[in-house]
Amino acid sequence: MDVIDVIVKIITWPPLWQLVVLGLVAPLGVVVGILWFERKTAARVQRRFGPLHVSPRIGGAIQLIADLMRYAFQEIIIPKTVDKGVFLIAPLTALVLSIVPVVAVPFTSVSHYWPIPMEYSVLISLALSTISAIFIVLAGWASNNKFSIIGGMREAYMITAYELMIILAILSVSAMTTSYNFVDVVLAQTGGKWFIILNPLAFLAAFISVLMATSGFPFEIPESENEVVAGPFTEYSGLLYGVNMGAAYIKRFVYSIFITLAFLGGWLPYGPGDGFISGYLIPSLVIIVKATILMAVFSFLRAVYGRYRLDQALDFAWKLLFPLALMGFGLGLLEAYIGLIG
Amino acid sequence: MSGFVSTRGQVGFNDLKIPGAWSRKIGKDLYEVFIGPQHPGSGHMRIIIRIDGDVIVEADPDMGYVHRTMEKLGEGREWIKGIPLYERMAIHDACNVTLPYVRAVEQLLGIEAPLRAKYLRVLLCEINRIAAYLYGFGIFGVFVGHSTMYMWPFGDREVWIELADWLTGARLTHSYPVFGGVRRDVPADFTNQLRKAIRYMRKRLEEYRKIYVDNPVIRARLEDVGVIPKNLAIELGITGPNLRASGVLYDVRYNDPYEVYDELDFEIPVFQEGDALARVWQRVEEIKQSLRILEQVADWLDKHPREPILHDRFWKTAPPLHKKIFETEGRAKLVPLYALLKVPKGKAYARAETARGEITYYVESDGGQKPYRVRIVSASARNAIVFKYILPGHRVMDLPTIYGSIDYFPPEADR
Repeated sequence: MDVIDVIVKIITWPPLWQLVVLGLVAPLGVVVGILWFERKTAARVQRRFGPLHVSPRIGGAIQLIADLMRYAFQEIIIPKTVDKGVFLIAPLTALVLSIVPVVAVPFTSVSHYWPIPMEYSVLISLALSTISAIFIVLAGWASNNKFSIIGGMREAYMITAYELMIILAILSVSAMTTSYNFVDVVLAQTGGKWFIILNPLAFLAAFISVLMATSGFPFEIPESENEVVAGPFTEYSGLLYGVNMGAAYIKRFVYSIFITLAFLGGWLPYGPGDGFISGYLIPSLVIIVKATILMAVFSFLRAVYGRYRLDQALDFAWKLLFPLALMGFGLGLLEAYIGLIG
Repeated sequence: MSGFVSTRGQVGFNDLKIPGAWSRKIGKDLYEVFIGPQHPGSGHMRIIIRIDGDVIVEADPDMGYVHRTMEKLGEGREWIKGIPLYERMAIHDACNVTLPYVRAVEQLLGIEAPLRAKYLRVLLCEINRIAAYLYGFGIFGVFVGHSTMYMWPFGDREVWIELADWLTGARLTHSYPVFGGVRRDVPADFTNQLRKAIRYMRKRLEEYRKIYVDNPVIRARLEDVGVIPKNLAIELGITGPNLRASGVLYDVRYNDPYEVYDELDFEIPVFQEGDALARVWQRVEEIKQSLRILEQVADWLDKHPREPILHDRFWKTAPPLHKKIFETEGRAKLVPLYALLKVPKGKAYARAETARGEITYYVESDGGQKPYRVRIVSASARNAIVFKYILPGHRVMDLPTIYGSIDYFPPEADR
């Protein structure tokens, strides 16, 4: 066994592969593309050019890399008034915790390539995904700035609005398949019976609550520039600010993967075979492509909607989204009862 | 923070009787937030709000951040230099803002602009009005987080700014109306391009309605937010579209017609609701009326031959070269007489309807080359008080909505 084999072995070791490659590198690549897409489509709608000056030949596609470099080389200013330890730790922890749920989901049906046993993967991944928001509240609190605190409080309010709805909406697929295993959920969708078709209510509930969870329009409330500057991230600068923004996008990417697995058929219609490429790489790519399309839809809404008021968003969540999620859950149960799901 | 109250016997801000440095006691559970003046949601103005949870209980508009001593500066300059000075109050509304000054001085001089010049003034006034409303729409759009409504009006405003540029030679600070007339006549193909712009704008207003005014999210944000009841609007003395959106029919163009507004056929839209949505609709409808006025002006300009656009008193002093340029190119250069103009002793008063409401000039001359006093009451200065009365009771997130819907412009208010 020579060195290259060892390196390949290490990289393709499922926990590392999923955490680093699928959790960190893939989102970064996707985010570069998605942000470019977001800015270009918004520009198209708004009759502008969008990013152009960095790499004019490919339509400014690497604009975000230039932005990232700027963030990376900018001085990180830590104001005297902040709670230094928490101020530094909060965004980094939020970043790590938003990646972690990737480890708890399967990217293939071949059990050899699962990082952890997948019996309860729906529950575990959902539970892990809910932790990172606390650190955004914490970042706002540690900043000791009125706008940050208001922004953090808004984030806390929004957690009460979206968390239950996401869990309910995604758990409705468990009700349909009577399994907490994402692999079973995906395999139940074979033959074009994607759960987005069988249970559109739960999909809609999941879609909207993910929009809320990741501050997408029309729910871009915690970071609403016109009232609270940058919300919890007002005092952050340089790379730490970039980390905050990156965490938000990774979170959206992770939720997109959940929705892809639960409603969009995961790696289907591809059937994973043997070996690394057929059994692991291609299924992961299929999932990432589906998640990317979902993210593109998320980001297009920016050009269409304004933002709701905080109390209106909470109203919307509890008066419309909660019944919708319950109905999706009920529909799932009904379909399982009449045997629609094989 | 609002200063500190000493507890250990030292001298606190309260003991120093410096105006503006007194601390105020605020309620026990209130959180005081200073929005502005360096804040993306306030413009160049500070609004001090005290919030209980998420609800504003007290709001204190604190004007004066961009005060430029404009009235005092005016006393040190020749009469004609007042025009480029005062239009800096609202550069995108330059013709409307300086017109009453010009008319007040014309009253003192005892002259009146030729009819064609009056039509040209109305032409630029309405172009400015549309551009200023579109500017307000753009700012309002970004305040409620609607980025498309931010970009569209700013892009469409370019149409009107280009027209103004073509007409006057400057995109914003036109200095177009001068005592006894205007600076330039319309270029040859201007009216056709104007009609094209009018057609384009009508089409675009419909698209604005689709994506913005009838957007469910935007409607949820604007409806029943920042309601100014009719009696409060009259009591506070607010003016302009905000007053008309509260159900009061008051427009200087209608109540006290100046220039040729009494010869033109247009309506003053009035809305009864008085909320932020009504204020948006008010401006949309007023743009439509402005387009109607512009059409009539374009027709008039087409039908009537060119004639001098300056009053004879000034025009007869123009050098032959200037007259020749005017005959061939339609441009009238400022005649040298303006530089040394002496205005007879007296007091004059004039007003006009700007994009943000009524602006009033009181001009006093002691017979010299410079004004003795020019007092300006601008529309935004009168509208600012409204924040104090309608913000309390609303959520913090309503602040940009209300601020944007009032279309408040700090440089105009602070002068």
